[in-house]
Amino acid sequence: MSDSFRSATGRKVVSRASAADLGMVSYFLVDVGQRRIASVVVGRGKKARLVDWAQVSGFGPDAVMVSDEGALRPAAGDREQAAADGKLDMLGKRTLTERGNKVGTIGDVTFDPATGVVEMLQISDRTIPADTMLGSGTYAVVVDASQEPVP
Amino acid sequence: MTASQINGLPVVTVHGGDDVAEVRDVIYNPEAGRLVGLTLNKRGFFSGRSREVLPAEAIHAIGRDAVMIADESSLVAPADAPDDVGHPATDRNVIGNDVLTEGGTSLGVVRDLALLVGSAGEVVGYQIEKPAGGHGYIPLPAQLAVSGAALVVPDVTQEFIRDDLVGLGAAVDDFRARLGMQ
Repeated sequence: MSDSFRSATGRKVVSRASAADLGMVSYFLVDVGQRRIASVVVGRGKKARLVDWAQVSGFGPDAVMVSDEGALRPAAGDREQAAADGKLDMLGKRTLTERGNKVGTIGDVTFDPATGVVEMLQISDRTIPADTMLGSGTYAVVVDASQEPVP
Repeated sequence: MTASQINGLPVVTVHGGDDVAEVRDVIYNPEAGRLVGLTLNKRGFFSGRSREVLPAEAIHAIGRDAVMIADESSLVAPADAPDDVGHPATDRNVIGNDVLTEGGTSLGVVRDLALLVGSAGEVVGYQIEKPAGGHGYIPLPAQLAVSGAALVVPDVTQEFIRDDLVGLGAAVDDFRARLGMQ
């Protein structure tokens, strides 16, 4: 079963060791080259922390389980900081083809909760495979020329 | 699309998805019939003229919504750019030039450059303001004589004046075939 960024946003993050509620899922940082979720951003603003996907022991329908509170860490580097600030959030982001034409706005992103592999991008009334992604940044998600809009 | 439609477009990295600059103006080489580069403005709060330029060779694609480049290293200082990009000749701006046929008829004044869609900047025609008023598009041969004040085109160009960019796109190949250039 696939999960999606939109439905997982706001889901609680819980420590498996202490059962403590550690916050809520706010954003996802995607490794485009690997086509996987690199880390999950927990909380917003100055309290935002990252959990690497490897530290997620179970991405469930009701809670995201992580080993313990130590799995949460501050952002390291510009890209992670941008992710923690929500600037890399793919939801609502414009999508451009590599030829510089707009495809639409991303409504949702589906992924496999067992592996973190990003599967599909829902853009307006289309669903396009995530392996067409070439880049994801503060301004746009860039997909390859196979997704060129029909003029 | 026309050169003026490129002005103001964001410059976006394919592999980063970031808008690293904005097009200020096109740098055009009329003899070569192509864009040789773009001058840039900065994006965001610190907008204003950027010192860097984008040589045409580093352009991945020019689209309706963005100019795409591989990554930020495509933007270079003028000193590191090819000469016609880093130090473009100021007397080669064809905008405002009179278009004369070899027979001495004026077809109008150049108002804009028409680019081949999907190319990295091949200029295939000019938008002209006709002597009688109104706009039209003329196709260009691959090579052209340019003086700085006027440009001279073959007589046959007169038969290939079109009302819009779509018509121009269809006319370019026929026109060049007539000139025996293809």
